[in-house]
Amino acid sequence: MYRVSMIRKELVAASAEPLVLSLLARGESYGYAIIQEVKARSNGKLQWTDGMLYPVLHRMEHRGLIRSRWGESETGRKRKYYSLKKDGKTAMQKHHEQWSLVHSVLAGLRKEQYV
Amino acid sequence: MFDLEQSIADWRQRMLAAGIKTPVPLEELESHLREDIAQQMKSGLSAQQSFGSAVNKIGQAPELKREFKKVSAPMEIQKIIQLAGVIFVAVTLFCPLFLFLPFLLAHGLSLTAKMLGLAIYATTVSTIVLSWRYNHKLLPVIRNQLLRRAVGIVCYAGSLLWMRFGVFHFSPGGLHPQSFLVPLVIFGLEWTVMAILGGVGHGLEKAASRQDQPAVS
Repeated sequence: MYRVSMIRKELVAASAEPLVLSLLARGESYGYAIIQEVKARSNGKLQWTDGMLYPVLHRMEHRGLIRSRWGESETGRKRKYYSLKKDGKTAMQKHHEQWSLVHSVLAGLRKEQYV
Repeated sequence: MFDLEQSIADWRQRMLAAGIKTPVPLEELESHLREDIAQQMKSGLSAQQSFGSAVNKIGQAPELKREFKKVSAPMEIQKIIQLAGVIFVAVTLFCPLFLFLPFLLAHGLSLTAKMLGLAIYATTVSTIVLSWRYNHKLLPVIRNQLLRRAVGIVCYAGSLLWMRFGVFHFSPGGLHPQSFLVPLVIFGLEWTVMAILGGVGHGLEKAASRQDQPAVS
């Protein structure tokens, strides 16, 4: 039975921006929720060192892809929310195109191996 | 007896000592830490276990500092360049308006002539805005930060020199309404060149930042 192992560090790093952008395209979110969502959707195979997400978010904010605001959680705790900007949406579409291309090349090569 | 608040305060001190800045990064990390602790306690772990696990997951202070430093160090300079860009846009948009106004309000001009003057001003402004908005798509990506900033600074300086000598020394003198079209076109061209030149620094930073990849591990 084919089993997907833990994803390599380099691939995790490269996928961070498209994943964050795609999650924020669904609506405003915050660091902890983003990490949990990625973990759940990858069945725990894609795991970030929690704290490392924040420099990435800050970098994306500096680049004008996302914006942030301080708000409150349901329990009244301070929480920083992030949302997608117009440039972020464009960057996300580019990421999707590039990752789809890589995926289709890989899928094609894999198919050839079984012919 | 384990004191959660004291442990969080100690963790904050360790982060501060390692150089994680306050307020934003540290406040945000603490917010995350508390969120994680609360979730783990909900799932049945003790406060001490939850705290230990959350601290491990959030990462070590030196690594975090290194990553945050990558974000803030070059970006501070980038912010200054962007601010300079905004000032340039403001100047290049509003100054021509004051130069054009005497022509547009002159009594001796027909309505057609005034409309033509307004159209030239609108064309100048549109060219400036479009070049600032999209010049990064045409500019090359210069990966060497020093070279990129040097080119940007040279362009800003060139733009200022152009404004100093081009606009104020070589423009046709005398605002005679009868010969309004020639000076208007020249003013338009001069301000547009200045704005495009001034926008290169901003555009180069934007072009380079779009190529950057984040680092998460």
